[in-house]
Amino acid sequence: MSGAANPVSPPDITITCDPDKLAEFEQRIADGVLIEPGDWMPDSYRALMLRMAEHHANSEIVGALPEGEWITRAPSMLRKLALIAKVQDEVGHGQMLYRVSQELGKSRDDMLRDLITGKTKYHNCFNYPCPTWGDIAMIQWLIDGAAIMNQKTLADGAYGPYVRTMNRINMEEAFHFKSGEDMVLTLMGGTKGQQIMAQDAFDRWWPIALMFFGPADKPNAEELPAMKWRMKTERNDSLRQRYVNRFAPAAMDMGLVIHVCEKDAAGLVTSKRPDEAIALDEDTGNWSFTQPDWDEFWRVIRGNGPCNAHRVALRRLSYEQGAWVRRAIGTGAVATPPAA
Amino acid sequence: MTMQDMMKDPLANIVLMHADDKLMLGHMQSDWTGLAPILEEDIAASSMSQDDLSHALVLFDALAQRFGLSADDIAFERDAADYRCCDLVTVPDDFNWAIALMKRWFVATFTALGIDRLATIDDEDLAQRCRRLIPEQAIHVRHLSEWVIRLGSGTDESNRRMQEALDALAPAASMLFEPPDQSIESTENFCCGREEMFEQWKSQCERTLREANLSATLTLSPRSMAGGRRGAHADHFASQLAEMTDVRRAEPAPAW
Repeated sequence: MSGAANPVSPPDITITCDPDKLAEFEQRIADGVLIEPGDWMPDSYRALMLRMAEHHANSEIVGALPEGEWITRAPSMLRKLALIAKVQDEVGHGQMLYRVSQELGKSRDDMLRDLITGKTKYHNCFNYPCPTWGDIAMIQWLIDGAAIMNQKTLADGAYGPYVRTMNRINMEEAFHFKSGEDMVLTLMGGTKGQQIMAQDAFDRWWPIALMFFGPADKPNAEELPAMKWRMKTERNDSLRQRYVNRFAPAAMDMGLVIHVCEKDAAGLVTSKRPDEAIALDEDTGNWSFTQPDWDEFWRVIRGNGPCNAHRVALRRLSYEQGAWVRRAIGTGAVATPPAA
Repeated sequence: MTMQDMMKDPLANIVLMHADDKLMLGHMQSDWTGLAPILEEDIAASSMSQDDLSHALVLFDALAQRFGLSADDIAFERDAADYRCCDLVTVPDDFNWAIALMKRWFVATFTALGIDRLATIDDEDLAQRCRRLIPEQAIHVRHLSEWVIRLGSGTDESNRRMQEALDALAPAASMLFEPPDQSIESTENFCCGREEMFEQWKSQCERTLREANLSATLTLSPRSMAGGRRGAHADHFASQLAEMTDVRRAEPAPAW
């Protein structure tokens, strides 16, 4: 589900390598040639690409958790089957992306351990709660929709294994999106209680979806490694605007109201008012909107969101409970890492 | 035709026995999605849960057509006492992979024998549906048997954990063979020949267990012993059913 939007902006990278090789490498990227694992690449490229793929892989397997918790409560046989298949897809995306990362030089076990000790991160949007079935519908529609939009631009990147993985993932995400859209439509066409469930969940997830693409890039983003080396190909603000242009009218067509909300520490809405900024600029074709609460974004990404501890604890439990199986088949590590 | 008519029908009870095993097995094991010991097996286990629930759906659908019900009604809207799953499937695994694996292996091995027999009954619709399930069920049995062997014969630690799981589950395992309806004769073809099927199941299980360096005593429980298949479910079944129907109960609606 989760795109790798902004695996935390890279620090300034010192590029120390053979300038001729670097020039040739950058020319290949400029020519649209895909970089393959056996090709020469600057160490900093390898490090950044690993960080991006690993963050994305982490996001997939942490992203499986909030929806996974609703499989046993899915309200029909078909929804239950679709939800298991969907969460399974996310785990499969994680598996593919860990393999991309492994090829860049880090073992899977090291990555799983770094995840549960807090050394590495995952996408911020999974640090929010899913109190109702409506949240599951909104994740699949709004968040998978955002992921597709982001990942389509990542599929225009330069690193071959990652690009091919994005193409494969995007095909599956398209099913998730359609499934989510169908769930939202069913709720909005249902009973009053179902409509309220959908609207409440939309209120929780709309600002999270806007944050999904990350904060605004630096003014010189195109000159920094991530964009210069085509690890990402579009600015966060540009993606966000395209997203609002697509989803704001779609939400309103379904009868949903876009609100600006106050939330409590548990991530639940305490008050809301219609977003009066929502309007179409006929000249640009862009919808204006109220920015999400970026203070909240930074608070959550630093580990103080409603569900950070819960998500990491569940991943740790899974890692620890499964350690004996990995030991028995000879793939894994051996001792449990210390608590973060 | 009503749910009560379905519950009085002997053949429907046999079908529900397998369908409810699969419903509850798929339901409970799906809880592992995203949390299994290794990613590759997470994906495989999730596929098996989807198969189990799909198989349940195929069988519920056959009954739904006969009794004028919907498959979802049969899956979600029965009283607890009308579910025909055995006690083994509903045993909580407490997030212990050895229990989850051993339970699924016992049940899958039983189901494979059961649907083989149902695939030959003089009821073309049901027989044809069961024939569709056979190849997937065979993959489950093979996959799970390989894992039982791999972990049973892995390390001392994995052998111990698997033996503990086996010791915990083996006593309840023969309740897989509890007839779901007292009136069903052991010799009726769709009831599979209880004693004969038990011997077949036991011998298959023991062969795998030997290869896995594990051992268990498997004995057929008395025919009169009533458990889940006749509606006398363990206490935890009520809360499992409540969780499964939580969203539907909270807001009755024509569609979800």
